[in-house]
Amino acid sequence: MSGTAEFVRVCAVNEVPDPGTLAVDLNGTPVVIVKSDGEIFALDEFCTHEEVSLADGEVYDHTVECWLHGSCFDVRSGKPTGPPASKPLATYQVRIEGDDVLVAAPAS
Amino acid sequence: MSSLSGAVETAGPISRLHGSGSFDPADFAVPGGREEEWRFTPLRRLRNLHSDAPLEAGKVGVEVSADSDITVVRSQHGDARIGTALVPSDRVSARAFAGFSEATIVTVPPGVVASRPTVVNVVGESVEHAAAGHTVVEVGANASAVVVLAYSGSATYADNVEFVVGEGASLSVVSLQDWADDSVHLSHQAALVGKDATFAHTAVSLGGSVVRVAPSVRYGGPGGNAELRGLYFADAGQHLEHRLLVDHNEANCRSRVTYKGALQGDGAHAVWIGDVLIRAAAVGTDSYEANRNLVLTDGTRVDSVPNLEILTGEVVRAGHASTSGRLEDEHLFYLMARGIGLAEARRLVIRGFFGELIGQIEVPDLADRVMTAIEAELEKGLS
Repeated sequence: MSGTAEFVRVCAVNEVPDPGTLAVDLNGTPVVIVKSDGEIFALDEFCTHEEVSLADGEVYDHTVECWLHGSCFDVRSGKPTGPPASKPLATYQVRIEGDDVLVAAPAS
Repeated sequence: MSSLSGAVETAGPISRLHGSGSFDPADFAVPGGREEEWRFTPLRRLRNLHSDAPLEAGKVGVEVSADSDITVVRSQHGDARIGTALVPSDRVSARAFAGFSEATIVTVPPGVVASRPTVVNVVGESVEHAAAGHTVVEVGANASAVVVLAYSGSATYADNVEFVVGEGASLSVVSLQDWADDSVHLSHQAALVGKDATFAHTAVSLGGSVVRVAPSVRYGGPGGNAELRGLYFADAGQHLEHRLLVDHNEANCRSRVTYKGALQGDGAHAVWIGDVLIRAAAVGTDSYEANRNLVLTDGTRVDSVPNLEILTGEVVRAGHASTSGRLEDEHLFYLMARGIGLAEARRLVIRGFFGELIGQIEVPDLADRVMTAIEAELEKGLS
């Protein structure tokens, strides 16, 4: 992400459970907001293995785990940490302003 | 005794893929993506064709060019010719059936041998409004025809196509999905192959964002012969899916399914599901299905699933094959050792790979067009 990316408000901080997830729409891109140990991250919503929303996944130790086949991703880097997924998720910059969660929208 | 009776084979098929179907969309729940028949399809890219997108008239134009012996009429719901070969087997098909405003019916009278291919041009104007279509091709007893379904333009389109092939007749169909990059197209193409009739169907899927074509065959009498062929070239981000069903419900029928595809670019996804059902009554069945995939770059994905359900042991043959792999180094080495450059060697091998199927397209202009399109795809991949 470039430093000049446009930040878009996607939700309020307290809308995301800790630990937990929230599916949001980032200018048409499905993104999942993940809260782990009080920190907030934004990643592609869908598992790179099959079309499964990670918003239904489980969050622990900076990991989001897909409920269906158990693919794990590090929420900080998007990298797969457990099979069957082998491709990383795209990650998005997050900025907290007051109660709002802002995410850097990809250049269209 | 109850445990014994449970072990006896009954006449009905076991798998739920071949349920009876329905013309009423309400009989199908909105898919959530985990269903067996939807699990490979990116539902969120279907622009709600699978749920509740309104289907509007006039957004996709249908023009037919045919021999003078062949009649082409437009018809509405209630026409007895509609719904004879096809019963919708999923929600999109049922919605398209309930939602089309005008069906195109092409009739080849008995005994007529068409002198030139009938071309049905289906052209989309925009992806904004979803549309539904219905086409029926009837071929009378002992008649013979070639029909090209050519899909192009930009559309969000669901359609059903029915082929009714009379006794001893011959019908060869090419369904060309040459959509613009933004199109979404879901198509069910069902054939009822009469006694001793021959049906050939070639699906060519090149363009479109999401294309899901489901050709199916069942037989109206013994001695039917069905050849289902397909070729596809998936580019970055493209989802091309083909779901075949051959329902051997009559004795002494033959079927061959051969699908070949190539994939290149990030997110290129091809799905091939080949279902063959050989019912208990279908003794003497001769069936074989194969899917071959060439993976040209990293980042692509192929799902290839042959399913056979065989309810009688009295068959001539019932086989299947599926392969997915990259270009063989030895093939390339052989050519390069003769002074041919890598790019040209790749082109030659891929030409050979598809050549078997393209050579069987009975319309020379179309065969050339498909080969040119594949060469253009390869150029894109090499540049």
